[in-house]
Amino acid sequence: MLLVDLQVAARNLTRHTRRNLFLGAALASVTGLLVLLGALTAGIEGSMMESATTLMTGDVNVGGFFKVTSGSAAPLVSGYPKVLEATRAAVPELDYYTVRGRGWAKAVSDSASMDLVLGGVDIAHEPAVRRVLQPIGGTLDELARPNTMLLFQGQAERLKVSVGDVLTLSAPTERGVNNTVDVRVVVVVKNVGIMSAFSAFIQADSLRGLYGLSPEATGAIHLFLKDRGQSALVAARLREEFQRQGWRVMEPDPQPYYMKLFQTVPSEDWTGQKLDVTTWEDELGQFKQFIWGIKVFTGLLVFILMVVIVIGILNTLAIAIRERTREIGTLRAIGMQRRKVLWLFMLETALLGLAGCAAGALGASALAAGLNAAAIRVPEAVQLFLSQEHLTFQLRAADAVSDVLLLTLVTVVASLAPALRAARLKPITAMHHIG
Amino acid sequence: MSIIQVRDVTKVYLLGKTQVHALRGVSLTVDKGEFLSVAGPSGSGKTTLLNLIGCVDTPTTGLVEVGGLDTSKLTERALTDLRLHQIGFIFQSFNLVQVLSVFQNIEFPLLLQGGLTKAERAARVNGLLEATGIGEYGRHRPSELSGGQRQRVAVARALVTRPALVLADEPTANLDSQTGQNIIDLMRDMNRKDGTTFIFSTHDPKVMAHASAIIRIADGLVAVRELVGATA
Repeated sequence: MLLVDLQVAARNLTRHTRRNLFLGAALASVTGLLVLLGALTAGIEGSMMESATTLMTGDVNVGGFFKVTSGSAAPLVSGYPKVLEATRAAVPELDYYTVRGRGWAKAVSDSASMDLVLGGVDIAHEPAVRRVLQPIGGTLDELARPNTMLLFQGQAERLKVSVGDVLTLSAPTERGVNNTVDVRVVVVVKNVGIMSAFSAFIQADSLRGLYGLSPEATGAIHLFLKDRGQSALVAARLREEFQRQGWRVMEPDPQPYYMKLFQTVPSEDWTGQKLDVTTWEDELGQFKQFIWGIKVFTGLLVFILMVVIVIGILNTLAIAIRERTREIGTLRAIGMQRRKVLWLFMLETALLGLAGCAAGALGASALAAGLNAAAIRVPEAVQLFLSQEHLTFQLRAADAVSDVLLLTLVTVVASLAPALRAARLKPITAMHHIG
Repeated sequence: MSIIQVRDVTKVYLLGKTQVHALRGVSLTVDKGEFLSVAGPSGSGKTTLLNLIGCVDTPTTGLVEVGGLDTSKLTERALTDLRLHQIGFIFQSFNLVQVLSVFQNIEFPLLLQGGLTKAERAARVNGLLEATGIGEYGRHRPSELSGGQRQRVAVARALVTRPALVLADEPTANLDSQTGQNIIDLMRDMNRKDGTTFIFSTHDPKVMAHASAIIRIADGLVAVRELVGATA
């Protein structure tokens, strides 16, 4: 019976080709837009996350703050080798880790200056940095030397420096004095999104020197897990473990460390060392909000278009029911139950929805693949927000399938009211047409 | 033994604020195996009477029994089941499903009933295709057939569930006289062969002549019941 139902539905659709093509094309357009915007958002999110987890955060971070007085704060983990030892013992999910200094300083060149969030890196132990950053001048290996610095392209342009030039970094220490150090720019890399606007790297010991720190002090231990999905679990476990071993641990607070450094920690009434365990989601809260904003925009746009589609479906089915009153009446007269009439109309809409939405998703996928292949350069002002140099769509089959199913479902639900109207038609209608 | 009992049935329609008395107290009995013609001029209430007997409409007052069941006491669902299993319909305008083939149109009521295997359905449909003389058109769509051929499909569809009763509302009205004659002959054959009760409305005297009895309706009342020479 299902086969005949499908045949009836499909053939009825082909009987009114122009009307159904129009509606199918509208469905295809909305689905295509949804798939395309979803792929663009995924592309932005993917590159943003990759650059962010390279530049600013691990999957889980063991950082902390040291306060000489209750009103000051420095982003430090003192005696980090012991913390690292405890961390490694408590996290069997660990893939690899990096140890980075944290700080911020004013970078001064001969002709300009700017504030930078600094990462003190040991480049020999930074596989992700090597994977993500693309030098356009100098080499990353040079960053192993003392008093060297890595700048992003935009920063180099703003400071009007290039590889080989010297910058002066001026940074406030936790004792309230400003230290300075001269560093040589050894490598300039391509921008990787919003993070590269204010993040820069210097050699790890140079950062320690700038802040007058011991070799056993660092900014944070970034942990990269085999499965990022375990981050929250690992972070919670680490907090418990550190407390059990006698460290003071800060309460979970989903903010990036520099927000805590400038806003919350200086106003807290404590001194000494506290560890702060965060996940990548905590550190990237603002970026996730940005992604969320894009998703809300996409959702709103698709919602508005869906309203238009629903109105189209209601109209189309109303016309179809009027045209097929006799047929419905005949089928009811010969013994078709109401629920079967309902089923036939909904099946017809479902077929139209599925065909239209699937065509839209396929078309959008092809368009996205074409645009990816064309490698269209994003304007620089937009690069910062999109975290992309070239327009990149990240197509996920599961997302496209769920988009198609969602919109088909909306289509079917929209058909419910007219289909119910059809099912309620009295069978006498058919005989009335010939009486 | 009666298959239809109609007692003191009235049917009043509302056309705007005007009441139209389509039937004004009709009573009749139809026995199993009859080949009955309901005759009368346009607007006399023929179609209304068939609608009530066919359970596609309900009387304003009075009793309609089909196969011993009081139709006023049946739910919508039960009425639909009754139509599916006990009654076959033949419409003046054929009313075939245009998107289905001839074979599928005839098979459709069997699919709604369920219970038969594909082979059993095919055997029954093919038998009727042959019996109605349209064996070679099984794969055609209704739009590819002539009026007479379409009505043969409609007859086959009405008979495929082997109903106790077939109602035909002016089955020859849209056909030329020869084709109409053939359709009536076909229905008469089925009536004789299977004992199926046929009630058909017409205002064509030539068609009426084939009936075993004629119910004449005028102004919503049964004027007379005449026996015709032929018997079931």
